[in-house]
Amino acid sequence: MSVVASQSTPARTDERSFSLSRFIPLGERIVGYGLLLFAAFATMAPFLWMVSTSLKADAEVFQFPPSFVPQGLEWQNYLDVIYLPDSGRQLVNSLVFALGSTISNLVFCSLAGYALARMQFRGKTIVFALVVGLLMVPAQSQIVPVFLIVQKIPFAGGNDWLGNSGTGLLNTYWGMILPTAATPFGIFLMRQFFTRIPIEYEESARLDGAKSFTIFWRILLPLARPAMAVLGVLSFQSAWNEFIWPLILTNSRDMATLQIGLQLLQSGPDARWNVVMAMATLITMPIIIVFLFAQRFVIDGAVTSGVKG
Amino acid sequence: MSSRSATVGPFNRTWGAYAFLAPALLILFLSLLLPAIATIGMSFTDISFLRPTNWVGLDNYFRLMADGRFQQAIGNTIYYTLGVTFPTMALGLLAAVALNRKFPFRIVFRTIFYLPVLTSLIAAAVVWVYLYEPYSGPVNGLFVSLGLGPQPWLSSPNLAMTALIIMAVWRDFGTAMIIYLAGLQDIPEEIYEAARLDGASKFSILWRITVPMLASVTFYLMIILIVQSFQVFGAIYVMTGGGPLGSTETIVFQMYQTAFGYTEFGYSAAMSTVLFFVILLFSLVGTKIMRRGEA
Repeated sequence: MSVVASQSTPARTDERSFSLSRFIPLGERIVGYGLLLFAAFATMAPFLWMVSTSLKADAEVFQFPPSFVPQGLEWQNYLDVIYLPDSGRQLVNSLVFALGSTISNLVFCSLAGYALARMQFRGKTIVFALVVGLLMVPAQSQIVPVFLIVQKIPFAGGNDWLGNSGTGLLNTYWGMILPTAATPFGIFLMRQFFTRIPIEYEESARLDGAKSFTIFWRILLPLARPAMAVLGVLSFQSAWNEFIWPLILTNSRDMATLQIGLQLLQSGPDARWNVVMAMATLITMPIIIVFLFAQRFVIDGAVTSGVKG
Repeated sequence: MSSRSATVGPFNRTWGAYAFLAPALLILFLSLLLPAIATIGMSFTDISFLRPTNWVGLDNYFRLMADGRFQQAIGNTIYYTLGVTFPTMALGLLAAVALNRKFPFRIVFRTIFYLPVLTSLIAAAVVWVYLYEPYSGPVNGLFVSLGLGPQPWLSSPNLAMTALIIMAVWRDFGTAMIIYLAGLQDIPEEIYEAARLDGASKFSILWRITVPMLASVTFYLMIILIVQSFQVFGAIYVMTGGGPLGSTETIVFQMYQTAFGYTEFGYSAAMSTVLFFVILLFSLVGTKIMRRGEA
């Protein structure tokens, strides 16, 4: 959210920068640029090495010291990744997991956020306090009970009604998506957004006799597009990059995601660094490309709607 | 908030609201609330699914207190957390101050500094394993060309944790930068003008105005980084597997091994409970600070 927050007051930054630049002498500006360029290069270096190594031939990978610019362009490494026996399956798994998690977050968090922002009901304060409280529960330290709960879901994977005798939702998409399907952060984000929409939009519809769900679906949800974009991008990114839940909640090769696949490839007996780096490049690029496009969209949406998180 | 009508709705409106809330609340219950309660409950048992479960009272906690490996894991976790948190904040602040004015390519620099945050942990970890590779890796390539000897990085008990910390700082300082940039926008320009008129130097403006004005942001950021670093797992799993000689074994890594390697779920739950309360404490303090910052 802070990505958004930092962008929401561009006008003020501009004014300040103008007054500042008058005070900065040329020499200092050159030194400043130099330092920034160095920092940017140092930050980029791991990415550049990743791409460079991914294009090297087998023999070149073992040269020491390694050369930054590859001698030839060995595109075959990328084909090797694509033709790995499990990579297609892993791509499908990653996409199903990431899209499933994104869609369920968008649906469930916006419904709950709307109720908490706009509806009057008994126990509202308690529910909201619960959501805020759960923001603080460290998810990664709950790996053991979440594993057990996913295993014990009644009537799933051969379980009886008490959740025994089967494998529950382990090794299924439903099981992987469950721990990420709605987050306190997402609910909080949507609730904050809905709270800011003027009540007049709703009141005129209510006078016309519209029901809560109609108001939500026809009026508020279209207005909430910027917040939905932010939530969607963040949900997709975190599910695509997720490692611990797929690792714990699946153990068959068929259910491995790309992240697990990359880890298996790197730790495998016949790992070749150039092929490993090619796979790392292929996994990283979609998220970076989505961000480069979404950055603008997310920021524009945030500026026009005044979302701050 | 003020525009909300004050009356509490009739009974069926309450049901309507819960229909909106039900799916999300069910998921939060299953993925966060019930696990938190179950962890605490399980920590008083010897549950393993291989034999009947017994209630063992505080035995797991007594065992933890005497467990040298767990103490090493706590020490490692604290070392890692301190090593990541403070350099990350310092670099994030420097980057934010540098980028908090308008100049050509500002957005390009900001995007570059933010790229590591976007990279998946596993891809980043795999790339850094290569960078640290002792015989053909670029880090040793750089060391040799600078006239320094090659180092065994991830396979040396003395260097492995430092190597992990460097990677984590690289990955996290973009987050700190973005949060600091948001904080910097809230400092009124008049304060800077006044200081400049008084002839304050750039360094003293940074140290005496910017840093104190960012105090609540800094504290909030520190809590986020501490809570996150306390839970480090993926990087350790990929890069060192807890080795060499247990020098990079952290609490969550040991929890994972105890539960899924040795099937001692009860003992693992006791570790998790200790971690849970430590993190909760930090989060509560952080939330308090954040609230005060908003007010």
